[in-house]
Amino acid sequence: MGTHHRDDCAENGGDDNGHLAKRPRPASCPISAAEIAEEFAHHDPSVARINNGSFGSCPASVLAAQLRWQRLFLRQPDEFYFHRLQPALLRSRILVKELINAADLDEVSLVDNATTAAAIVLQHASWAFSEGGFRKGDAVVMLHYAYGAVKKSIHAYVARAGGHIIEVPLPFPVSSNEEIVLEFRKALELGKANGRRVRLAVIDHVTSMPSVVIPVKELTRICREEGVDQVFVDAAHAIGSVEVDVQDIGADFYTSNLHKWFFCPPSVAFLYTKKCSASSRLHHPVVSHEYGNGLPLESAWIGTRDYSAQLVVPSMMDFIGRFEGGIEGIRKRNHEKVVEMGKMLADAWGTFLGSPPEMCCSMIMVGLPGCLGILSEKDALKLRSLLRKEFKVEVPIHYQLPKDGEVVEKDGSSTVTGYVRISHQVYNMEGDYHKLRDAVHKLVNDGFNCTMFPS
Amino acid sequence: MDAPRDDHRLSENRNGNGCGEADGRLSKRPRPHPAPISAAEIVEEFSHNDPAVARVNNGSFGCCPASVLAAQLRWQRLFLRQPDEFYFSSLHPSLTRSRSLVLELINAAHLDEVSLVDNATTAAAIIFQHVAWSFIEGAFNPGDAVVMLHYAYGAVKRSIHAYVTRAGGHVVEVPLPFPLSSPDEVVAEFRRTLGLCRAGGRRVRLAVIDHITSMPCVVIPVKELTRICREEGVDQVFVDGAHSIGNVEVDVQDIGADFYTSNLHKWLFCPSSVAFLHTRGSSAAAPRLHHPVVSHEYGNGLPLESGWIGNRDYTPQLVVPAVVEFVERFEGGLEGIRRRNHEKVVEMGKMLAESWGTFLGCPPEMSCSMIMVGLPGCVGISSETDAMKLRALLRDEFKIEVPIHYQSPPKDGEAAGATDESGATVTGYARISHQVYNVENDYCRLRDAVHKLVRDGFSCIQSTERVPSKVKDG
Repeated sequence: MGTHHRDDCAENGGDDNGHLAKRPRPASCPISAAEIAEEFAHHDPSVARINNGSFGSCPASVLAAQLRWQRLFLRQPDEFYFHRLQPALLRSRILVKELINAADLDEVSLVDNATTAAAIVLQHASWAFSEGGFRKGDAVVMLHYAYGAVKKSIHAYVARAGGHIIEVPLPFPVSSNEEIVLEFRKALELGKANGRRVRLAVIDHVTSMPSVVIPVKELTRICREEGVDQVFVDAAHAIGSVEVDVQDIGADFYTSNLHKWFFCPPSVAFLYTKKCSASSRLHHPVVSHEYGNGLPLESAWIGTRDYSAQLVVPSMMDFIGRFEGGIEGIRKRNHEKVVEMGKMLADAWGTFLGSPPEMCCSMIMVGLPGCLGILSEKDALKLRSLLRKEFKVEVPIHYQLPKDGEVVEKDGSSTVTGYVRISHQVYNMEGDYHKLRDAVHKLVNDGFNCTMFPS
Repeated sequence: MDAPRDDHRLSENRNGNGCGEADGRLSKRPRPHPAPISAAEIVEEFSHNDPAVARVNNGSFGCCPASVLAAQLRWQRLFLRQPDEFYFSSLHPSLTRSRSLVLELINAAHLDEVSLVDNATTAAAIIFQHVAWSFIEGAFNPGDAVVMLHYAYGAVKRSIHAYVTRAGGHVVEVPLPFPLSSPDEVVAEFRRTLGLCRAGGRRVRLAVIDHITSMPCVVIPVKELTRICREEGVDQVFVDGAHSIGNVEVDVQDIGADFYTSNLHKWLFCPSSVAFLHTRGSSAAAPRLHHPVVSHEYGNGLPLESGWIGNRDYTPQLVVPAVVEFVERFEGGLEGIRRRNHEKVVEMGKMLAESWGTFLGCPPEMSCSMIMVGLPGCVGISSETDAMKLRALLRDEFKIEVPIHYQSPPKDGEAAGATDESGATVTGYARISHQVYNVENDYCRLRDAVHKLVRDGFSCIQSTERVPSKVKDG
């Protein structure tokens, strides 16, 4: 899993990621398995960490770079503020612009996380409702599997200001993009009912729980066809796990966390805002000196903060460049491995994958044996805790209620209502997944059932 | 993690008489008492500060001692080691512990009145967004007023306009004289402004009052102004105390404002960045403030909302116990630090004023750990840009860090501006601060640098260098 034989990557100097190769790199082997282990030596070695999705990971060399930035600030903060901060932020933004294929640097802002990006976009929608740009009752569409925090943000800003919210129900398990497209079209029709306008569609690129890759390019195109004003892609998980080309996807707003799959420390995200009349009116909710100078500049100073997580993008690019194929190589191998491990688990447990491999990225949903009896979100959380405490396995668990009348997927003995969301990142080993496999086997063999949890 | 060693006033009683009575409620258990921190230990704690720089500007960015940074690093490593475990088991209790310590520090009545946020700028956004909703939802009427001081912090002024003006509120500024000779001048202007609002039939929904203005820096009589607000029927009072904690005494019950914020990273030795926002009255009657970054805890009250705003590095908020430990190593604890900082900055301020033939910008009792000292008029500061240029010059050529305030001279017909001993109008002031790491030589260097500039015939009017245009004094 970890060892890559030397090829002529050294001579290529990163050409597979050519537009990012700003300077020739010294010839060297790709990073070795031992080096990877060292880079992540600060992880708890006793834990099978198959949940990169929640909090991401950061290698030691990037943490060291962050520490250097922090010390530079501490040494002489005024000097740092007047001379270092803005050029360093600019450099990070330039690298992000290239990564995501944005057309213009002004379209790229750095913010704390996708949750903040969502607040920015939704606060803007809120003002539009309050100031009359949008009519009360106009719709905002979101996916049923939108991230919980984003759903709350939509209610806090849009519903409160008079917008009507429509949820797109999504099937899960899911077997094709067509199922998603169908539901989405239906929701848009609902949104336009009674002469309403659909002002904003909030579409996940990679849903969190359950995790599937959503065909955002197609959904965005449909939005344009159907007259949706603006499309906001919440791609919290995307960068570093799927390809991100914002021009190709064509959304108005696109955000992704760099600390999840892109090796930055907590926390930093980018918010892409396509150049148009609306984008110039986006504001960071924490208003400071740069108010009115455009979102990138507003976001670059939101009062005294530790901005170091936003400054290590160059160091992070260096780290990625040590891997064969760069970020594309990392993505590809993570995907292949997580599918392989997912199938291994499904086979071992007699269950199935929650989506076809082409609808997943570096994470995949694997059904848990139905006899575990997961009957609620609470059960799922308790089981997760049990796995953490007793088996030292960290994996999020999704509770899925089968719909009435729906043909339930049976694993031979009882209905599957729970799924683990396994991930694969460069530090993972096959042993991690064996540990999970064996832990579940033990629970099943011991006759464990969630009803045994104290209520 | 940091074992909370809570009992710490022993340093005040080196002979071992009693333990922690001066601030009893922080003394959880008796503790063996070492000597107060030594000068050498202080140097070591701040050895990461650039030793070549006379760092006479603690106000803008604060400072953080090595032992607190080390505590922060431990928290960071704990998160990195197993972030899920950290999130589910450590984060919330640790935030609660920090909030409890802040509650004691500021004499808040209930824990759910205390939220931790990134900085005072964020706290201001929380308050003003709430005001904006009140206008939008009709609780306030278009044209109702929000009152702020002329010397309110620039970012806060912009926030008021971004939220309040945009939502239909009317913003009124209280003019403040500077230099000042007594708090009565501030009170008089404040009363006058409120009176004008009343006379104009404007309902004042919110008064935004700095506890310590940034530039120019003076301590505002917030308790009295809050009382006046109550008398005058102002709905709510928000005290922007960005500089206060660790600098002046903060007793939120005594001050009586509805909202009070202060940064912990300026004068309370926390790393960048963390502030508290105190909201009086945890009952249902208290307004439902929301953090603008909405996450899972939306609707569960501001303290919980602020305790999770998505994936972030929360470690600056977790080191408050380590900070309390650090502070208690000083004689008299935080009170002792404040007192000595104040005495020293006044002493140094007077030294500079005498040496330059100028004066202090306010009486000592209106200063705290910072004070404004007039610069010789011949230096010729005629704009904000000049002030920035001079500041950059002092930084680059003399390795002195000190913010400079430009005070425009009175217009023709008004009373004559304050003049220095040579008769030149004083238009620039240095805002010097004193924190535990400062030494007298820092101020001697500043004194001598200005003397040199004067001797060399320096004047801003002649200087044509380009400087950054942004203004950040903190």
